[in-house]
Amino acid sequence: MTTHDFLGLYDAKVMEYLLALVYLLLFVPMWRFVQGRPQAAEAGADARAQAPAGATAHPLLGWFHVPDGVALHPGHAWARLDADGLVTVGIDEFAQKLVDPEQVRLPATGDVVRQSRPAFAVGDQVVTVPMLSPVDGTVVAVNGAAAHGAGALRDPYGAGWLFKVKVPEAARALKQLLDPAAARAFLESAAEGLSHQLQPALGRVLQDGGVPIHGIAQAVAGEAWAALARKHFLTDRSEP
Amino acid sequence: MASARTETLGQSSFFRDKILLGMSLGEYLRSLLTPFNLVAAVILAIGVPSLVYRFAAGLGASTNLSQAYPWGLWIGFDMMTGVVLAAGGFTIGASVQLLGLKDFHPIERPAILTAFIGYVMAVVGLLADLGRPWNIVMAIVNAGSASALFEIAWCVMCYTTVLLLEFTVPFFEWLGWKRIHAILKKSLLALTVLSVMFSTMHQSALGSLFLLAPTKLHPLWYTPFIFIFFFISAILAGISMVIVESALSHKVFAHRLEGQPHVDVDKLTIGLGKAGAIVAFAYFFLKLQGVVDGHAWGYLLTGYGALFLVETVGFVLVPSLLFAWGARHAKVKVIRWAGAMAVAGIVFNRLNVSVIAFNWQNPVRYVPSWMEVAVSLSLVTIGVLAFRWICNRMPILWEDPAFADRHED
Repeated sequence: MTTHDFLGLYDAKVMEYLLALVYLLLFVPMWRFVQGRPQAAEAGADARAQAPAGATAHPLLGWFHVPDGVALHPGHAWARLDADGLVTVGIDEFAQKLVDPEQVRLPATGDVVRQSRPAFAVGDQVVTVPMLSPVDGTVVAVNGAAAHGAGALRDPYGAGWLFKVKVPEAARALKQLLDPAAARAFLESAAEGLSHQLQPALGRVLQDGGVPIHGIAQAVAGEAWAALARKHFLTDRSEP
Repeated sequence: MASARTETLGQSSFFRDKILLGMSLGEYLRSLLTPFNLVAAVILAIGVPSLVYRFAAGLGASTNLSQAYPWGLWIGFDMMTGVVLAAGGFTIGASVQLLGLKDFHPIERPAILTAFIGYVMAVVGLLADLGRPWNIVMAIVNAGSASALFEIAWCVMCYTTVLLLEFTVPFFEWLGWKRIHAILKKSLLALTVLSVMFSTMHQSALGSLFLLAPTKLHPLWYTPFIFIFFFISAILAGISMVIVESALSHKVFAHRLEGQPHVDVDKLTIGLGKAGAIVAFAYFFLKLQGVVDGHAWGYLLTGYGALFLVETVGFVLVPSLLFAWGARHAKVKVIRWAGAMAVAGIVFNRLNVSVIAFNWQNPVRYVPSWMEVAVSLSLVTIGVLAFRWICNRMPILWEDPAFADRHED
C-alpha cells in the first residue's frame, strides 16, 4: 500500500460523508457565533467612558451611532461643517430608523431656516412629520436623491444628507449643539426610552440581542406613529 | 492674444490643480522626496531595466525557467496571485450592486481600482513570461473553446475592460464630465453583472489549468474540483484584500478625507469579517475534502504535508476563527490581522499550486533569478504607486457630492 492508496474507495467515501457531517454540525454554531450581536462594541465603550459622572448605569444598547464630526440637535437633526464653509444638515440614525421615510419635504434653495424651527418634514406617502432645523441660515443646496426617501436615507450621515446651509459664524453655531460624545449619550437615552415601548410585533429586539428594524414608530404605535415621531422630534406642539 | 493667454493660464491651472495637487512644479517635486518614494525608486531602478533586459535578451538570459519548469514566479505570483488578490472588485461590486448591501458602497471604488490595477499588472507579468508575447493575439482569433487557457485569456481581457469602464466613473467625476459620467454610472449594474460572470469563469479556470497535469501537481493540492477551490479562495481573497486595503488607504489618505462625508470603516470591516469567517470556514473543510477525495492523507506526514498544513490550518482555519472572534467582539484590529493572514495564505496557496508543489517529483528545483524577483517587486511597486497617485487626485475614497446623485442647486 502506498501513501497514495492510504484508504480504500469505500473508506474514503465514508470519511467524506463524515467530514461533510462534521462541517454542517460545526457550521451552525459558527454561524450563530459570527452573526451574534457584537459584544463590547467600541461605540458603546466610547459612550460609556464619556458618560457624565453619576449618570445611571444603563446597559448600553448601541443601536444608533453618531460619527465623529457631526453635531446633533435634540430634535434628531445633525449638522456638519464642511471644508467649503457650508453646513450640511441631515437626520440622525434614530430618526431614520424611527420613521424609515418614504418621502422627505425639503426647503427650497434660497429659503431661510431658523434653529429649532420646523424646516423640513419626513414621513410616508400620506403623513409627514416636521423636523427642526439645527442651525440658522440660508439653504444653498438640497439633496434631490434624499427627497425620494428610503434608498439614500439608509445612509443618514453620508448619501442621505438633506440640505446645505450658509450659516453666519458656522463654527460658533455648531458649538450650541451636542458634540458626538454627548450625542451618543443622548441617543442611548432615547433608545432606552424607546425600548420600553417595544411590543412583540417588532420581532427580535433588545431582550434577545436584536437590533431595531426600520420604521420603529409604525411597528410600535401603528396608526399613531406620527404622534410618536413628533414627540421625539420635539415638534408635537408645532404646526405640521 | 489676450484670450490665448487666458486659455494658457486656464490649462496651467487645470494641470496645477488636478495633477500637481495645487502645488507648483518645484513644490510638487520636493514633496516627492519621502523615504517610501526612495525605496520605490530603488526597486524600480533595478526592476524596470530587468524587464527591458528580459524583452531584449529573452527568457533564457533573464530567468531560471526551463523546459522542466516553464512556469515560475511571473506566473505563480504576478499572474495567479495578482488575479486572485484583485477579486475584491467583483466581490464588493456584487455585494453592493447585485445583493443590495449599500452599506459597502464607500469601499466599492477602492476595491474596483485595486482590481483594475491588479489585473493590468498581472497582464504585464504575463507578457513578460510569454516567450513570444506578440502571439497573445492568437488567443483572440483562435477558436480554442475547449481550452481552459482560451477561457482565461478571453475572460481576463473582457474583465479588465469591464474594470476600466467601472473605473471611468470616478475618472470622469474627476474631470467634471457630467454627461458621460451619468451614462457610465447608469451602466454600473450591467457592468457588475458582467464582472461577476467573467470573474467566476476565469478565477475558476485558472484552477482548471491544473486538470491538465494531474500527476505533476502534488496530491495534497491536486483535486478534480480544484477549479471550485480556486473560485472560493478568490472570494476569500477578495474580502480579505478589501479589509486590508481599506484599513491602509483610510489611514494613508486620512488627510484627503477631511471634510468628506464620514465613512465608518470599522463598521464595514466588521461586516466583511463576518463574511470572511464563513467563507474561510467553508474553504477549510473543502480543502480537507480534497485531501480525503484524493486519498492523500498519507502525505500529511511528509514535508509537503507540513507545507499543506501550514497553508490550510495556519492561513485558512486560524484567520477564519480570528475573523469570527473579531466580528463577534467588534475587535477591528483582530479582523485586519486576520485579513492580512488570509491574504498571505492565498498568496502561499497559489505559489504552492503553481510553483512549489508543481513538478514535485522533479529532482531539479526551480529557484527564481534575481531579475524575476526584481520584476515582480517592481510590478507590485508600480501598482501601489498608481493606486496612491489616483487616490490622491480622483474621488476614489469618497464620491463627489456634485455627482453623488441629482444635486439641485
